[in-house]
Amino acid sequence: MIENRPWLTFASHATLLLGIGLVALPVWMALVASTHPASAFGVGHIPLWFGDAGAETWGTVLFEEAGNGVDTPVWFMMLNSLIMALGITFGKIVISLLSAYAIVFFRFPCRNLCFWIIFMTLMLPVEVRIVPTYEVVANLDLLNSYTGLTLPLIASATATFLFRQCFLSIPGELVEAARIDGAGPWRFFFDILLPLSRTNIAALFVILFIYGWNQYLWPLLITTDDAYYTLVMSIKRMLSVTDGDIAWNQIMATTLLAMLPPVAVVIGMQKLFVKGLVDSEK
Amino acid sequence: MTDVILEKVGKTYPNGYQAIPSVDLSIEEGEFIVLVGPSGCGKSTLLRMVAGLESISTGELRIRGERMNEKEPAERDIAMVFQNYALYPHMSVYDNMAYGLKNRGIAKNLIEEKVSDVAKMLGLTELLQRKPRQLSGGQRQRVAMGRAMVRDPKVFLFDEPLSNLDAKLRVQMRVEIRQLQRKLGTTTLYVTHDQVEAMTLADRLVVLNKGKAEQIGTPMDLYNKPATPFVAAFIGSPSMNLIDATLTEQGVKISEALTLPLSHQHRGDIVWGIRPEHLEVSDEQNGDFALRIQAVESLGAETLIHGKIETESANGESMVVRLSGPHLPDVNSLMWLTAPMSHWHLFDAKTQQRL
Repeated sequence: MIENRPWLTFASHATLLLGIGLVALPVWMALVASTHPASAFGVGHIPLWFGDAGAETWGTVLFEEAGNGVDTPVWFMMLNSLIMALGITFGKIVISLLSAYAIVFFRFPCRNLCFWIIFMTLMLPVEVRIVPTYEVVANLDLLNSYTGLTLPLIASATATFLFRQCFLSIPGELVEAARIDGAGPWRFFFDILLPLSRTNIAALFVILFIYGWNQYLWPLLITTDDAYYTLVMSIKRMLSVTDGDIAWNQIMATTLLAMLPPVAVVIGMQKLFVKGLVDSEK
Repeated sequence: MTDVILEKVGKTYPNGYQAIPSVDLSIEEGEFIVLVGPSGCGKSTLLRMVAGLESISTGELRIRGERMNEKEPAERDIAMVFQNYALYPHMSVYDNMAYGLKNRGIAKNLIEEKVSDVAKMLGLTELLQRKPRQLSGGQRQRVAMGRAMVRDPKVFLFDEPLSNLDAKLRVQMRVEIRQLQRKLGTTTLYVTHDQVEAMTLADRLVVLNKGKAEQIGTPMDLYNKPATPFVAAFIGSPSMNLIDATLTEQGVKISEALTLPLSHQHRGDIVWGIRPEHLEVSDEQNGDFALRIQAVESLGAETLIHGKIETESANGESMVVRLSGPHLPDVNSLMWLTAPMSHWHLFDAKTQQRL
């Protein structure tokens, strides 16, 4: 249907532009703020164009220290965040691929019960079970370690469910053809299942990476050593300065840096992401 | 040499449903056996039991003398062509065909040689690097067959492989399958619900009904001497005219007024049958009975005439007559027919067996 109604085109474009403006304005302001000296905020008006302190602020934040009582430079915290986010993402994908594989393709007693138990963990995110989980991790001596940061967050009902749906849509004849072709369980998994769920894995990767990267409460609880601080939790710490001015310029720069990896992942994997959620090539 | 033996093979599902009570079948080496029957008759189940995709509840399956009941499909040295082809969508045609060989640990150069040989035989050489979704239905079908042939198995299993193709391609592939099987000389078990396919392909046919083998024999055996009314109706198109009748001293009593003379020692209720192509047009003096014509289907080479046997009461038995060449009788007119006795088929109504 081709419609030619100029006012409609105008209205929809105006709405879209307004939306973009609303979303982009804070980001723009953060970017501008990071180029002014810290004192610029005490004056009472918000700068809307770049200042001249940009190079200095960004250099300090990236390579020397994030400021406001956080001594580690941002690149180091980014690394920590990245390790945690990737650890959680790959851990979740591997675990849920395997559990979905077991639930869909193998007949064992209590198979459905297992599925529903996994499914029920949806009701128990980290925030709900935080005290017992903390105790378990502490007893295992995993405080202040990458394992402690990632392991408790790895189990995932959502991903298991998604892979289960994906596997269920694989025609039974394909499974049988593989059996006749002499593919054992592992061969079948690696040669047939993995390539067929490639787009689903990509879509999940995007969702889970952002989930992992944005983790706040859990890393805040179990890390007390600067060496394991993640970027997202550090921003909050940078705000809680007891004496002196808050270095807003440094905080803004750090915030922008914290946004970059998720944005990069979304943009880089957009095509696969949409494909994984929309169509299947089976 | 007997290649495949099914001995009292039966299938009962865990929920107690008995799909196949017991089937006995022995297949000679190189023979083309077609399992045919209406949907739900257990023909696919039987094939899948031979393949090892379904467990065998009772009886024994032997391939080249070796018991196969407990063997995995891959260990049975069989190859199967599925109805929906079941090609691996992410693999190229070459990889699809090579996958089974790779899993068996065959050397790469040997695989290449075998795949290219088979590809040449099936005319797939140009398509080897394509993905299945870039192929037409007929090409996919060929790849699926190629995948089976590459392995050089003892037995080919086909599960309604042509049912997804259009009519023209089906005929072409049917001929091709037959030629290939003759050339390779591989024992073949083929499942179909299409009796034309069954008749043209088979060395021997197995007609299945509700999990039971009604009759096993060559296509001509089944056509000329069907063992039961079910086989009689199933083989041949249009199917045989079957009429409930009584055998008396005078002969076959079809209705109060119509008795076809026959001397036979059997008495009682029977099913009397004659194929549409064996009925002959006659006239009032010599005809056995008259048909009130209800519909005429002209196909050019032949004409099918549907009608009812004319009796005093309104409900005469329906009949189909097949005449070669074009005929254009008026609907509702009468047509006198003779039914040559040599083409009669008599079945006991109670035991459903041929008399």
